[in-house]
Amino acid sequence: FTDVNLNSRNTYEVSRRRSAPEHLPHGGTAPAEPAPPPQEPAERARHRVGIAGAGSSFAEFFTRNFFTKRTKELKPSVQSAPGWKLFGKVPPRENLPKDSKIIQQEYEARTGRMYKPPPPSARRKNIEFEPLSTTALILEDRPANLPAKSVEEALRHRQEYDEMVAEAKKREIKEAHKRKKIMRERFKQEENIASAVVIWVNEILPNWEGMRATRRVRELWWQGLPPSVRGKVWSLAVGNELNITPELYEIFLSRAKERWKSFSETSSENDIEDAGASVADREASLELIKLDISRTFPSLYIFQKGGPYHDLLHSVLGAYTCYRPDVGYVQGMSFIAAVLILNLEEADAFIAFANLLNKPCQLAFFRVDHSMMLKYFAAFEVFFEENLPKLFLHFKSYSLTPDIYLIDWIFTLYSKSLPLDLACRVWDVFCRDGEEFLFRTGLGILRLYEDILLQMDFIHIAQFLTKLPEDITSEKLFSCIAAIQMQNSNKKWAQVFASLMKDNKEGDKNHSPAPKS
Amino acid sequence: MAQTVTPGTSPEGPRPSYMYKVVLLGSMSVGKSSLAYRYVRNDFRELLPTVACSFFTQMLNLDEATVKFEIWDTAGQEKYQSVCHLYYRDAHAALLVYDITNKQTLSRAKLWLEELEKRFLPNEIVIALVGNKTDLAAEREVTTEEGEEFAQTKGLLFMETSAKSNHQVNDVFMGIVQELLRREKEKASKPFPHGRSTVDLRASEARTRCC
Repeated sequence: FTDVNLNSRNTYEVSRRRSAPEHLPHGGTAPAEPAPPPQEPAERARHRVGIAGAGSSFAEFFTRNFFTKRTKELKPSVQSAPGWKLFGKVPPRENLPKDSKIIQQEYEARTGRMYKPPPPSARRKNIEFEPLSTTALILEDRPANLPAKSVEEALRHRQEYDEMVAEAKKREIKEAHKRKKIMRERFKQEENIASAVVIWVNEILPNWEGMRATRRVRELWWQGLPPSVRGKVWSLAVGNELNITPELYEIFLSRAKERWKSFSETSSENDIEDAGASVADREASLELIKLDISRTFPSLYIFQKGGPYHDLLHSVLGAYTCYRPDVGYVQGMSFIAAVLILNLEEADAFIAFANLLNKPCQLAFFRVDHSMMLKYFAAFEVFFEENLPKLFLHFKSYSLTPDIYLIDWIFTLYSKSLPLDLACRVWDVFCRDGEEFLFRTGLGILRLYEDILLQMDFIHIAQFLTKLPEDITSEKLFSCIAAIQMQNSNKKWAQVFASLMKDNKEGDKNHSPAPKS
Repeated sequence: MAQTVTPGTSPEGPRPSYMYKVVLLGSMSVGKSSLAYRYVRNDFRELLPTVACSFFTQMLNLDEATVKFEIWDTAGQEKYQSVCHLYYRDAHAALLVYDITNKQTLSRAKLWLEELEKRFLPNEIVIALVGNKTDLAAEREVTTEEGEEFAQTKGLLFMETSAKSNHQVNDVFMGIVQELLRREKEKASKPFPHGRSTVDLRASEARTRCC
């Protein structure tokens, strides 16, 4: 029995990966259930035992739809499927599952058997509802060796039992509805993505320069890029001002490799000293890359040693430190490179990485140019006060400055702070709108949690913002971001920032900012 | 020194409560975040590299006082140094963390000490030198004596720890709290030069803005 349950779990995973929503009984047009064929032990066992056991009713639902297929042909591919390519290198619809009817027909053709509907009593009609342990509760009489219940007691127990089951059923049906709704939304989303892919591939990408700034494209862009075109659009939007070619990447990569080699040969010796501090610095940088790679998205298990993208990440970061020794490796970069690697081929990822980090805002942060960072914070605060005056005052009262939370967000372009899919959506619009969107997103986050933050003191705000809740959803965040106006008395971000830069130049003459302790 | 003095309510009468800001400084990957995580959550795990700063809090109910720790866990990479003063300003205590298996990290801790000595008056801040990763004793590059001696000459608290095997992590923070409370008492027995004993909680928590 345990075996059976484990099996059905696996199937659930598979069916989910294979774009499950197609098989939802939405709108009352539920696809006909495939026959539980004679060799379907799980179904039997479950009915016989009478308790659905550990699997959730939802999982069981998928189990049924896929059981036939899995046992016959899916199983081997399932076990070998690595599941790494979660992030868009696979067009989303490549593995469209077959309709259950087709599966059934195939099955019939193979086995030479015709589908006989099982007797109605043997199957549940309502496929939304599968018993969980509570509803499958069986009311037993007392064992024969004990005195029987009185009639009154038996009746009372019966009634209590009925109430319990009814209550549980109600709860489960409600949950099933909720799940169904979620799945329906996900299905709708997938449909939207599918139609968006067509528009991006057929219309926009071939006419990139002409269309990128049109209203229609900008609106579609705001909705989030379909994973299959995401890397391409990012590349185009980030551009290649630096004119880096894949060949150039190879050159810097081989230089990095040489350095690693010589480093590992001499690392046990102390003769680094006479080579000068800058070399020691660079060595430290290389060492640090190694340390950080294993700490990049550890939950994905793909950048860690032995993982499929470990070497890639190492290469891209190593080549960058050789390409830009003036910037070098800075903690936080590994996350940016990782997100690019998940969406682009190696050389393209490097090109996008180098160009992205060459943008003024990124350069200011990754060089840890504090005075420039302060300009960005000041511009951010202008829009903060404009959009969220109450929270702005609250932060002010604790002298809570943006450096506390913004540095982390801007350094990693939110990839460390937000769930990965959501971070990618932020990147999408960042590619469209530029640096201003990074700060707008920050304000969106503050707006989303404004009510909670208003109740908190300094340290709790700092804690909260440097470790955002994991259940943050893209709908909620993006509606908050949309509500943030990037206009300050008719001045846009760029203008506000430019005027702050001008103030700085004038102020520099008689005032140099000195930190007080 | 008294940052937050509000009478607590305990059966024996008012018990003072204090808020102390503790900042963790040291090279990258010496285990600053792990020490904080071990102390606050009593757990050890693979942590993401700290970008800029992360924050922890811990409440201590001691016989003589209630203490609230605000722990500021800073990023270790040297590149971040130009923003680090943002994080250690107004700190009451600092942990200078090094890795006993890496001699360079001790030199780095010494540099941190120089920096703190420039920014703080001698009695303004309690500093502890912490040699972490005693679980890797086989790879040790810094002897206990070496760390101890340096700490002694500079008047620092000293302790070797392992966040991984939970060795003396609690003791470090307890040592700091004892020292902070001792200084608190010392100050209380002297006349108040600035009459700061009744600082309002809100006003005292406000930080002076930098730059």
